[in-house]
Amino acid sequence: MSIAAPATLFHTPFEAMASRCEVKLNAPTAAAAQRYADLAIAEVKRIEHAYSRYRPDSVVSRINAAAGGKSAVLCDAETVSLLDYAGSLFAMSDGLFDITSGVLRQAWNFKQAKVPSPSRLKPLLDLVGWARVERDGARIRLPQAGMELDFGGFGKEYAADRAAAVLMDVGVTQGYVNLGGDMRVIGPQPDGSPWAVGIQDPRRAGQVIATIPVSSGALATSGDYERFFEHKGRRYCHILNPHTGYPVAHWQSVSVLAPLSITAGSCTTIAMLKAADGAAFLAQTGLMYLTIDAHGQFGQPPA
Amino acid sequence: MTSTPLCPTAPATPAALPPLGMALLTAALCLPLAPLAQAESQPERGSITLKYLDYKDSQPGWNRIWVHAPSVAVLAPVGENWSVAGSLVSDVLSGASPAYHAEPNPFKIHEHRKAGDFTVTRYLPRGTFALGASYSTESDYVSRGITAQGSFASEDKNTTFSGGLGLTSDQINPNNKVVVNERKNITDLMVGVTQVLSPNDIAQLNLTYVHGTGYYSDPYKLLDNRPRNRNQTAMLLRWNHHLDSTDGTTRLSYRYYTDTYHVKAHTLTAEYVQPLASGWTLTPMLRFHTQGAASFYVEADGSGYPVLPPDYAPGRIVSEDQRLSAFGAFTYGLKVAKQLDKDWSMDVKVEQYQQNGAWRVFGTGSKNIAPFDARMIQLGVSRLF
Repeated sequence: MSIAAPATLFHTPFEAMASRCEVKLNAPTAAAAQRYADLAIAEVKRIEHAYSRYRPDSVVSRINAAAGGKSAVLCDAETVSLLDYAGSLFAMSDGLFDITSGVLRQAWNFKQAKVPSPSRLKPLLDLVGWARVERDGARIRLPQAGMELDFGGFGKEYAADRAAAVLMDVGVTQGYVNLGGDMRVIGPQPDGSPWAVGIQDPRRAGQVIATIPVSSGALATSGDYERFFEHKGRRYCHILNPHTGYPVAHWQSVSVLAPLSITAGSCTTIAMLKAADGAAFLAQTGLMYLTIDAHGQFGQPPA
Repeated sequence: MTSTPLCPTAPATPAALPPLGMALLTAALCLPLAPLAQAESQPERGSITLKYLDYKDSQPGWNRIWVHAPSVAVLAPVGENWSVAGSLVSDVLSGASPAYHAEPNPFKIHEHRKAGDFTVTRYLPRGTFALGASYSTESDYVSRGITAQGSFASEDKNTTFSGGLGLTSDQINPNNKVVVNERKNITDLMVGVTQVLSPNDIAQLNLTYVHGTGYYSDPYKLLDNRPRNRNQTAMLLRWNHHLDSTDGTTRLSYRYYTDTYHVKAHTLTAEYVQPLASGWTLTPMLRFHTQGAASFYVEADGSGYPVLPPDYAPGRIVSEDQRLSAFGAFTYGLKVAKQLDKDWSMDVKVEQYQQNGAWRVFGTGSKNIAPFDARMIQLGVSRLF
């Protein structure tokens, strides 16, 4: 076996899912790299379109539009598997990971920095509840008008895994897919060393607080800094507890390293939602993680 | 920046995950994150393709047949899971086919053939099913056919099985009235398997069996009288290999053919598809074909006349058709295609065919027939909609 010459990795930035995204990959020629990147980008955009709440023809829009109606909406196999996944996460998170909770965002306007009143939240909380969603095989029905599904909780991570699968399928062995910070690594750098993935400092925008070496698998981070406002000295972030309707407040950020991007992302979200119990939840997963609590203290798996 | 508090060799998957970690991972692994090879899927866009074929064959000193054939083909996705495809071709053939062997036929022919076909395909999550019909008419020949085809992919979509059945019914009324209202009925069966061997390799094996009864003779050839039953069997093995170093693809195939006329043929084809900058693609092609003669083929003598068996009597099974003789043949081709923009593409294909009795391998070739050449030029333009 000969020693391989250091291969060039090709880098393609793009915009999708309202995020800055990029793929980095090995390929025999620049033309092949462009073709591979186009395949990955097309897959990300396919998922973005298929599960967008803003496109009237998306399956999510069809399900939401039929809420409270008589008939159930028939879903394709991929949507069924994503709904199954959402159901599994709902069960494993004691009902905190709930894809019907997106409706709560109607009460939280992060531009106006206004804390909604309990009377504003109450009718929206009544619309939250995965347990009430009716499913029969490939059919789904939201029982109450106004109820909404939102795949935003894992759509980006799912897209990162699918894009990586597309690239691996055409023979890519090195590089990564990065969708707005959700990082799915396909293989190490050409010299065999891991990628150093930076973790955002939750209190200093644009600064890296730690780097994690990743050779394979995925690293995801959720934080209270992505969208938030402060009111009377308190921070209100975009991650909303489906039981109270209020933003979570225990962690500044949670990062998880897992084999799949969707697993890493789901764990960070559940840990954020579980607040003080999040550390115990993460420890029970057996995955590697890094938490930064409200005082800026690091936490990681018990030795 | 703080140095990483995590162990620098932290693996993404610890050796064994506790139950919660396993449950989370198992839930994710139920997602379609691995069905990477795609089953044949409904085309996302329709297409319309116009082609113009110019074919001319010749032997030394004689231009035999000239064919001009414009055609149009349309493919359109319908709804979520269906597509329809159809094509029309109109070809004008002029010249003369040999009277026997390679001897010029004094009667010039000018024939206008019109043909069309239509296929409806249903796309299923792991397969396809298609039904088709075809019709072709010219002054002395009408052909009608129906086909059914299906394919089914394995769960990982790396293996695809396919099968097809076709029925064709032809009606033959030669202009010279040698026969009237003759018929030919053909049933063909195909089974195949396609296997993805690696990200760069795909192989296919197809077996075809054709059973036909009826009028197989050429009414414009003297003495031509062929058996009314013909069963044909063919095996086709194909291997496509993508070369990472050039981004090109080699396509190699071997076909073995045998029939109840005792024709046995071997065909080797090699193509190489090279994508270039600015949407250009070059595809050179080389094919070698060799076959043995039909058992009832009669050779030509040195002056070009058939050497009939000593006990020849009218009605006996004989043929002097050059296509049933023993020969070897080379085809050289080049296709140049250019993607003009995201909707339009065009291509030019040129092929040259040369047939010679002396080039037969695995036996001696038929003697005393002039070498036969054909040249084909095809222009195509296609638009997606």
